Amino acid sequence: MKKIFYTLLILALLPISFSAQETALKGKELFGDMKARHIGPALMSGRINDIEMHPTNTRIIYIGTAGGGVWKSNNGGATFTPIFDEHVQSIGVVTLDPKNPDQTIWVGTGETWTRNSVSVGDGLFKSTDGGNNWKEIPGFENSERIASVVINPNNTNEVYVGVLGALWSDSEDRGVYKTTDGGKTWNKVLYVGPSTGAADVIMDPKNPNVLYASMWQFRRTGWSFNSGGENSALYKSTDSGKTWNKIHNGFPKGDLGRIAIAVAPSDNNILYSVLETEEKDKNGLWKSTDAGKSWEHLNNDFGLTVRPFYFSRITIDPKNPDIVVKGGLTGSISRDGGKTFKNLGNMHADIHDVTFHINDSDIMYSATDGGLYRSWNGGSVFEIVEDLPLSQFYHISTDDAEPYNVYGGLQDNGSWYGPSSSPGGVNARDWNSVGYGDGFRVLKHPTKNIIYSEMQGAENVWRYDADRNRTRTIQPLPKKGDAELRFNWNAPMAVSTHAPDRFYMGSQFVHKSEDMGETWQIISPDLTTNDPKKQDQSESGGLSVDNSGAENHTTIFTIAESPLDENIIWAGTDDGNVQVTTDGGKKWNNVTENLTGIPANTWVYHIEASVHGKGTAYAVFEGHTTGDMKPYALKTTDYGKTWKSIISEDIQENAFVRNIQEDYENEDLLFLGTEMGLYVTIDGGKNWSHFTNNMPPVAVHFIDMQKQTNDIVMGTHGRGVIIIDDISPLRQLNASILEKDVHFFDTEAFNMPEESGFSGSFGTETQFVGGNKPTSARIVYYLKKRHTFGKMEMEIQDMEGNKIAPLSPGKSKGINIVNWNYTSATPKMAAGKTLSYGGFTAPRVPAGTYKVVLTKGKNTYETEIDVKYDEKSLTTLAERKEQEKLTKQLFNMVEDLAYMVYELGELQDKANSIIEEHPKGKKEAQKLYDALENLRKDLVITTGDNYVAAAEPELRERMADLYSNIASSFSRVTASQKQNLQLISEDFAEAKERYATIKDKEGKKFLKFLERNELEKLTIKTKEEFLSDD
Amino acid sequence: MKKCLTFTINLNINSMKTVKTLIIALLVIAVTPLTAQTADEIIDNYFENTGGKDAWNKIEAMKMTGDASMGPQSFPFTQYLMTDGKMLTEIEFQGQKLTPQAFDGEQLWGLNFQTMQPEAQDAEASANYKKNEANDFPDPFLNYEEKGYQVELMGEETKEGTETYKIKLTKNKVMSDGVEEENISYYYFDKENFVPIVSEMVMPVGPQKGMNVQTKYSDYQEAGDIFFPYALETSYNGQTGQSIKMDNIEINPSVEGIDFSMPEKK
Repeated sequence: MKKIFYTLLILALLPISFSAQETALKGKELFGDMKARHIGPALMSGRINDIEMHPTNTRIIYIGTAGGGVWKSNNGGATFTPIFDEHVQSIGVVTLDPKNPDQTIWVGTGETWTRNSVSVGDGLFKSTDGGNNWKEIPGFENSERIASVVINPNNTNEVYVGVLGALWSDSEDRGVYKTTDGGKTWNKVLYVGPSTGAADVIMDPKNPNVLYASMWQFRRTGWSFNSGGENSALYKSTDSGKTWNKIHNGFPKGDLGRIAIAVAPSDNNILYSVLETEEKDKNGLWKSTDAGKSWEHLNNDFGLTVRPFYFSRITIDPKNPDIVVKGGLTGSISRDGGKTFKNLGNMHADIHDVTFHINDSDIMYSATDGGLYRSWNGGSVFEIVEDLPLSQFYHISTDDAEPYNVYGGLQDNGSWYGPSSSPGGVNARDWNSVGYGDGFRVLKHPTKNIIYSEMQGAENVWRYDADRNRTRTIQPLPKKGDAELRFNWNAPMAVSTHAPDRFYMGSQFVHKSEDMGETWQIISPDLTTNDPKKQDQSESGGLSVDNSGAENHTTIFTIAESPLDENIIWAGTDDGNVQVTTDGGKKWNNVTENLTGIPANTWVYHIEASVHGKGTAYAVFEGHTTGDMKPYALKTTDYGKTWKSIISEDIQENAFVRNIQEDYENEDLLFLGTEMGLYVTIDGGKNWSHFTNNMPPVAVHFIDMQKQTNDIVMGTHGRGVIIIDDISPLRQLNASILEKDVHFFDTEAFNMPEESGFSGSFGTETQFVGGNKPTSARIVYYLKKRHTFGKMEMEIQDMEGNKIAPLSPGKSKGINIVNWNYTSATPKMAAGKTLSYGGFTAPRVPAGTYKVVLTKGKNTYETEIDVKYDEKSLTTLAERKEQEKLTKQLFNMVEDLAYMVYELGELQDKANSIIEEHPKGKKEAQKLYDALENLRKDLVITTGDNYVAAAEPELRERMADLYSNIASSFSRVTASQKQNLQLISEDFAEAKERYATIKDKEGKKFLKFLERNELEKLTIKTKEEFLSDD
Repeated sequence: MKKCLTFTINLNINSMKTVKTLIIALLVIAVTPLTAQTADEIIDNYFENTGGKDAWNKIEAMKMTGDASMGPQSFPFTQYLMTDGKMLTEIEFQGQKLTPQAFDGEQLWGLNFQTMQPEAQDAEASANYKKNEANDFPDPFLNYEEKGYQVELMGEETKEGTETYKIKLTKNKVMSDGVEEENISYYYFDKENFVPIVSEMVMPVGPQKGMNVQTKYSDYQEAGDIFFPYALETSYNGQTGQSIKMDNIEINPSVEGIDFSMPEKK
């Protein structure tokens, strides 16, 4: 048997030893447990597309967000958790199965309030386990935007899906789809044409055979929007979708735009609709009281007619058909069946959806551009949910403060900056406002405490003096003879690494200021195509004019001054031009013709001028505003004469690219910000890996690399700022490292921070708090294979091999990161009745080199790390050495006391056993016991509890508190502390004397008794044994 | 077929302890799935690779000792677990033996660290424990149907850089503040050797309700006839909370004198 076994063993092992595995420089395992952290902010949240109430459980609410995924609340909306982080984050609709609402959830992706900056969806998903796992439903891959999922409550296998479809192109995927087998097979039951999508599909609440569908003809381009056309219409089916008829009796003739539709849950004859028509006075609210046979026009107030493409949701109180709410700039509510309306209470503008609590219509939820709000009084007062970090950044930047700050501008939520770490975590209160309106680029002056920010179309560009709290506007203004300036909605800005006061902006020209925006000089010709067909925004909007400036086109979108040469400046335009000057703007080269594989006029979203060569730059292009979702990124090393694509097939085909960030040290390490999240390459773009560790596939609009920390900082359009701390291990990764069983990455010396402060967190129970950057030492290693069988341990040792601290090693295949907080073990404390909190303090190690020893089975792997004292320390080296010495002295004293109390306790136990079992010795034993007990009461607390019944502190507590105070402060030991130390030392010496006296007197007699009676001797551990015991 | 062969050998050399360790190494290599697996096959393989169901079914009690650490603090602990559901955890701290949590078969109780006195946990917590955790020992998947649990293979996923099978474990429903809730967790079984390396759940009850709790299992080693994970690391919403390192696992120890019931307050 044995023989067979060994043969088998050899056979089984063979394929492994001979099949040299090819190591790919890509894949999820590359990143191991390198994780992203989210810092919000959530004090301004982000756009929410849809709210879904659980039909029976009032604690459960879902929201589908514009760019931040699906979130679920289990507590009536106090806090939320994301439940859709592995899929596209732009959400159109969330629908619960009416029969099985705890398990079956449908998510239609792609937001449906079709502003210029919307993200794209990626199909239809279903969960059958309450949102833990999602399956994509085949057939909707090209749907782009799903507006409705409607389920027959009597037969939940019958589902209707309204596909609004592509925003920027024709699509035959639009229309109303139906399944009768829970999603396995689908039929398109209503299709109007390639430009007309299903804006809403609803079902009669009492008769599931009756459906209403609003079909909308619409189209957006990079420079214009059109809502309305002859194909927009409101349809009704009474035979479960087989046939559909227009129900326009009473509607005005002519083209219609987006149509909102709702049926009263309590009376299925009552319908409300909001129309966008050719006749302005017929716009607004219409009502039918005969289930759509005829319509009456009720109201064309501003609140009902404003921006139909953006606000088209009607909600009716579930119990009262006269209470009607319409989304809008402020949201409107009627309590008289739609005749009159008033605004909803104050909250962030732009209300997209409103829902009522299922049992109490006083409680309402409102989805806005600035997050989710709750009302408890029927809609006149609203409070924000503080737990939703859905902020939609257009751009971010960082400074070189410690900790560094992150600056950025948000969709409809102004401009902000906040710290990348803060005591207690990055809180709402840590963020500072630095701009109004829609915020875009926010840049810190390289040397002064001055911040540049802007609002849409450079209507205002602010220069904010943060020290003196002064703001002024500095946007370039036309002077006599200048052409009319065309600024993009998201106008480019840049600062210079060569001249700190230099500031660039882009219209169709590159503007340069050498004095922080006081005076401007145009340093380029019109760098765009200057195509007049793309320049008339006054008619944009279609039936309802919508000239917000968001469609301004033929503008410069990105400016990059070379970090190596201030005369080299790159500019990219929204209409596809890449231009470069090498002489500070005297002459510009249009290198657009040299681009390879980029369709004409594709938006140049970002140019990164490289630190690795003057002629080296990266340019990313995105054509989604023409319906082209493909990823494009090119690299040049010769000032744009030739370009090479650095995109591989690893990148999802619809993950169009908005940003690229190069590493400052390793030219082959690049980070790509796409519509579907972050991709990383370690080989210059031959292979890309999707970074998914705590990183949803959210649209990444901008990436910065913070130089001092090597952090990758991402501005996402829907999940706020997301950071990957210290990516330097990725610099070192290469094929030979991936072949090793274990590889430790080199790390810089770690700074042991001494800053300490307060972080009172009252009132933040339901607020989002962002994670902090670890300040501990990071031990980073690569494991070729996940460690599962046998022991694997890690510890820190001093250079002599003495154990300092055990660590819990990561065992993942790929990169593992273990944090060590620079401390050794806590002291062993004397046993008392209560806990001594001073004993929780672990002393910090002195600066120096330490060994990291990893044992894995029989193998040992070692590396060394350096730790250094805080460069910002307020302490001299001599003072610190004294602090370390006194810490050690007190540490030892605490453990001496622990041993003394242990020994004393053992003596007492022995005495007790004699008292109980040997009447002859009772007297001596009792004397000893009592004497020891008298002493013990002065050494440790023997009564009371850990709270208000606490006893007075005894020697242990006083000693441990002093130890803790000295060990945990990194400043000079105070005179008072030294005096206290002297007192405690003397008290301890006195206690030792008392103990010696007792041992000498009562103890000796007791031991003699034991000897005389040949009783078992007292066995006491040595101090070393005692201390090494767990 | 390969699987069956090694399986037979495994039974025949049961006494050869060192060789058996090798067998595990062999299984790691040999039992590569040739076809798609069912949840039950994966679970069966897991039990087979870790000692066999017979051995698992012989477990009545277990005593574990080790260190539990949270950040820089580390506590030596001892835990007793019984198949009748009883549980006692003791930690040693500043010379005192403290019981943060215990279950006497009906009542979950633990020490109040302010008063240092034992207190009963709320009725929902005890009832939930009795219906679930009390059944889990020695392994939630062992005879899971008898416990009223269900399993489902959800597919394959990369966890810890490793290819795994994802199995959904639906345990008995729990009461959460007066409302009944589903109790679902996911276990990720290493495709090579069929042992779970990660489990995840959204906490349905308690102070961590709604949090994503992840536990990683490693350092599988022999305890008697069974391979157990000697290292566990639990994180809450991605933040490491607790690491447990076992020093010793004793199967069917003597539990004489071990009192699982809540002592009187002093």
